[in-house]
Amino acid sequence: MLNLEYMWGLLPVLLRYLPLTLQMATIAMFFALILACLLAVVRVSKVPFLNGFSLLFISFFRGTPLLVQLFLFYYGLPQLISALISITGVTAAVLGLTLHFSAYMAESIRAAIVGIDRSQTEAALSIGMTQSQLMRRIILPQATRVATPTLMNYFIDMIKATSLAFTLGVTELMGATQKEAAGSFLYLEAFLLVALIYWAIVEVLSWGQRRLEIYLNKAYQR
Amino acid sequence: MPLSRKLNLTLAALSLSVASGVFAASAQADTLRVGMSGGYFPFTFVEQDELKGFEVDVMNAVGEITGDDIEFVTASFSGLAGMLESGRIDTIANQITITPEREAKYVFTSPYVYDGAQVVVRAGNDTIEGVEDLSGKSVAVNLGSNYEQLLREQPNADEIDIRTYESNIEQDVALGRVEAFVMDRVSATQVIKEKGLPLELAGQPFSTIENALPFRDDEAGREQRDRVDTALSELRENGELREISEKWFNTDITQP
Repeated sequence: MLNLEYMWGLLPVLLRYLPLTLQMATIAMFFALILACLLAVVRVSKVPFLNGFSLLFISFFRGTPLLVQLFLFYYGLPQLISALISITGVTAAVLGLTLHFSAYMAESIRAAIVGIDRSQTEAALSIGMTQSQLMRRIILPQATRVATPTLMNYFIDMIKATSLAFTLGVTELMGATQKEAAGSFLYLEAFLLVALIYWAIVEVLSWGQRRLEIYLNKAYQR
Repeated sequence: MPLSRKLNLTLAALSLSVASGVFAASAQADTLRVGMSGGYFPFTFVEQDELKGFEVDVMNAVGEITGDDIEFVTASFSGLAGMLESGRIDTIANQITITPEREAKYVFTSPYVYDGAQVVVRAGNDTIEGVEDLSGKSVAVNLGSNYEQLLREQPNADEIDIRTYESNIEQDVALGRVEAFVMDRVSATQVIKEKGLPLELAGQPFSTIENALPFRDDEAGREQRDRVDTALSELRENGELREISEKWFNTDITQP
């Protein structure tokens, strides 16, 4: 049966790696959001040249597996550009997560922007707002509300995707679990425990998401 | 935002927030960065956050002699070769078997472990008693290990259903999901003895293997190789290598 004593003893060991996992995901999410907003705005406003770049960027980073991208940046590119050797595993993982997820998030932000009714744009332009004012004051605040649930989805996915960092030599939550399981051979216990830890993090986030949605919906309440 | 600026910001944010230990991996003359999977009992594994095993003891003993600081870097086995090639580690202590392909690419120390490739099955499975019985059977090997290639060199290779795994091959055979796995005899014996999984050795080892430490084939790599090789010879002569082996295996696996 389950060796609960082992799981209890392993819990504080694994929790030591939780901050690194959360840091990688949070930093990557921060930069991915900025990048995704830029990509989405470029796509919606059809900025010349940049629009083509956005299309190519999104196509590549959505079109190839994250693990391939990580290996490419961390092991592949340094063979061509030797300066890249100084990138640490953590930086490479954060960079990979940022680029990969920004491509997905850009599309979901674009969908939210496009989904705002045309009358909003017309009303804003009719009172003399510039394109940039229109974006910042009218469209993006409304689009934020629409995009929040899907963006939270990507953040949750990103937290779990940090487990790939062990292939780059970064011992995060999953890497620590794999090594402990190799030492004890108590696979069920070790992986069950790490599953519960991930689940708990995501539950906390979901609670935060509900609060955020209530806040963003205030203006729409009767 | 231009890519380079974003990268700088990422770096800045990281160096502020992430523990400094992660960044200590810079190349210094007196630091030997040793890569290992941390997932290969009893050579390299972790218990309560402490890295242990035969490889760890051997490398620490080497460091005592050469005066190098030994810095262990753990990564998935499939990432280790990339780390060695991109200069992020100096060698791999993970029972790396000498093969002609690897010799063309790396420089090796002299062997410090002599072993054989062993077929392991679920306890009570009488249908497999050696590599010749693997025809038509599913066999698990670790991704990036040389056992896949050893299997492909067998006369009945075409009939073997070889499956490569990232990790946990023992568990999948114990569960009956694949019929056998191939690993080195020493650690297979140890896994069965220490961990109580329902597994047993099937017949005799089918190939001798010699394990050594690979270094990059450049000036710095060859220099490190020579230094470590001298230390290994000294450990062999003063009996310390044998002692480490007997501590983990109750037998001397460092002799042919």
